[in-house]
Amino acid sequence: MATLTRQDLNFGQVVADILCEFLEVAIHLILYVREVYPSGIFQKRKKYNVPVQMSCHPELNQYIQDTLSCVKPLIEKNEAEKVVVVIMDKEHHPVERFVFEISQPPLLSISSETLLSHVEQLLRAVILKISVCDAVLDTNPPGCTFTVLVHTREAATRNMEKVQVIKDFPWIVADEQEVYMEEAKLIPLKTMTSDILKMQLYVEEKTQKT
Amino acid sequence: MDMDMDDLYLDNIDEFVNDQNKIVTYKWLSLTLGVHVNTAKQMLYHYLEQKRRESSGTPLHATYLVSGKFVENGGTCHKVSVVREDKLEAVKAKMDVTISVHVYSVQRAELKDSSPLYSTDYDAVKENLKNSNKYSAIRCAAAVPMPSVELRAQEVAVVPPVEKEIHKPRLNENTSATSKPSAKQPAGIMGMFASKNASKSQESSKEVKTEQKDNSSLVETSKTKPASKANPMSNFFGKPAQKKVDEKRNKSIKEETDGDSAASSTASVKLSQPSPKSEFAIKEEQSKVSSALKVESKDTRNKSKRPEVVDSDDEKMENQQKKRRRIKKPQPDSSDDEVVPDSPPVPTKQTPSPKKQVKREPVSHQESSDVKRRKRRRVLKSHTFVDEDGSFVTEKGYVSESYSESEEEPEPKSQAKDSSSLKQSFGKREEEKKEKSQKKTSATNKSTKQPSIMGFFQKK
Repeated sequence: MATLTRQDLNFGQVVADILCEFLEVAIHLILYVREVYPSGIFQKRKKYNVPVQMSCHPELNQYIQDTLSCVKPLIEKNEAEKVVVVIMDKEHHPVERFVFEISQPPLLSISSETLLSHVEQLLRAVILKISVCDAVLDTNPPGCTFTVLVHTREAATRNMEKVQVIKDFPWIVADEQEVYMEEAKLIPLKTMTSDILKMQLYVEEKTQKT
Repeated sequence: MDMDMDDLYLDNIDEFVNDQNKIVTYKWLSLTLGVHVNTAKQMLYHYLEQKRRESSGTPLHATYLVSGKFVENGGTCHKVSVVREDKLEAVKAKMDVTISVHVYSVQRAELKDSSPLYSTDYDAVKENLKNSNKYSAIRCAAAVPMPSVELRAQEVAVVPPVEKEIHKPRLNENTSATSKPSAKQPAGIMGMFASKNASKSQESSKEVKTEQKDNSSLVETSKTKPASKANPMSNFFGKPAQKKVDEKRNKSIKEETDGDSAASSTASVKLSQPSPKSEFAIKEEQSKVSSALKVESKDTRNKSKRPEVVDSDDEKMENQQKKRRRIKKPQPDSSDDEVVPDSPPVPTKQTPSPKKQVKREPVSHQESSDVKRRKRRRVLKSHTFVDEDGSFVTEKGYVSESYSESEEEPEPKSQAKDSSSLKQSFGKREEEKKEKSQKKTSATNKSTKQPSIMGFFQKK
């Protein structure tokens, strides 16, 4: 079948769609598993043919969706290097960072008919790994909040500021203290490699959480 | 039994659980190691015992499958459930007779909900779909997949005995509109399909039977039109009715259309004549359905979904005059509300008036929001709905949340409560103002009965 290059924006959009859907599910699941929000707001829904927990709180959902719609154009152009979900304690010091490292191969080939179901299987495995990650992580202190950071390659953010994807949803350059964590332990969770997408998920965890 | 279990398996399980941080269910273990499920269960049990005896290293968590006889509401039932270890004794105590208890899974993480248990088996089972009971202890000699030829032969056999009943519904079509469509559903459907004598339509009849709502909608068409026209009619009728149906029904209706298109090739002469008439009839049906939707929106707010559908069909059955009467009724009432806000009759009107306040909004909006509301109800049980009509939808979400929040119940229970909380919330919300700023009403609503949304943040 066809071999597409990065210039073929349609395919880039497909990959960005898949990835943003996945990130939405993953963020909700992280919030559920790490107990950032009370479990009462979560509801079982189906994704990739398995049950996942998604929140029902409209503002939270809207926030996550807005965040990801801003990230999507970066992924389409392959400018997003990492998407990080940072969990911070009451003093806004990060205690955990879930890092999704994303890379897309320059030459995408949709040679296999079962490509998408294969990708679905891999994403399912990542979801499963997030569900059991609390075995390897210490419990968080109460009263945590979360935020999403995006590390871009080169100077993509300058273009982003010019084109505000969503009004009233500005992105700002993150503070040093949110980006870097001192005394961090690195815990790898899952790596997935497929024809269209490579993703690595690991957690940076603060050694002393309280 | 002991021969199967040397210590190698213990190391295997140890590697899966501790090194790879996997959830090891007995089903996954049996498929991975190629052993009978009972052996797998024993292996897990031994592993757990050994690790607990050592009491070193990381703590392990286990889930158990308990099955037994359970007395509920005066009737006994056989209950099978997967429980966490800490709840095991409690569940066993509740059962009358505990028939079996065995280890379901072993993992390092303490699972908050059961979703990962399903995910962990998913791929392994999918790969072994054809021989999924290779290692299973459940056997049934008669359970073999049927070849498709036998499938059709079976359906043909089902149709003839029902033909006798067709005569009855046909007589009734001409006499009076019935008020019990449900009693005639199966006969009416079979009548429609029997008239075709096409095997494909019989296949689709199977799908129709599985959905009771489909039956009610199709029966109505059979009553208004002769049975021979009913088949193409039902498909078209199915389309406007799809507004209020979920995806499952859509599929079955579409499958009917597929069945019919195939049948039409074999019985093309029959179709060509009724088709112009049926097209005209379709438009009538659609207009009837849309007016029925409008009418029902006013009356069926607190009912569950099924009666709603039957109501609309009932309204269709009545002659148009009655329908017009119903539509007109609310208008004089609503105008009364506007003219006389403080007069003495207001208290008596208050209960009907809140219902009709919504009617003041443009009817199309009402219809769409009602359609949405119907979807929302179902959706609320298992779906979010953020991108629709702002606040109304938001309230739904809020209500279900706040209930489960205040009840502090675990996830599955909160979902069961949703359906009841929905009805209450509908009633209560309508007693609020006539506002467009429904968000405000939701806030006040919540402060009167539940801890508000701020409760979320305070809890943190």
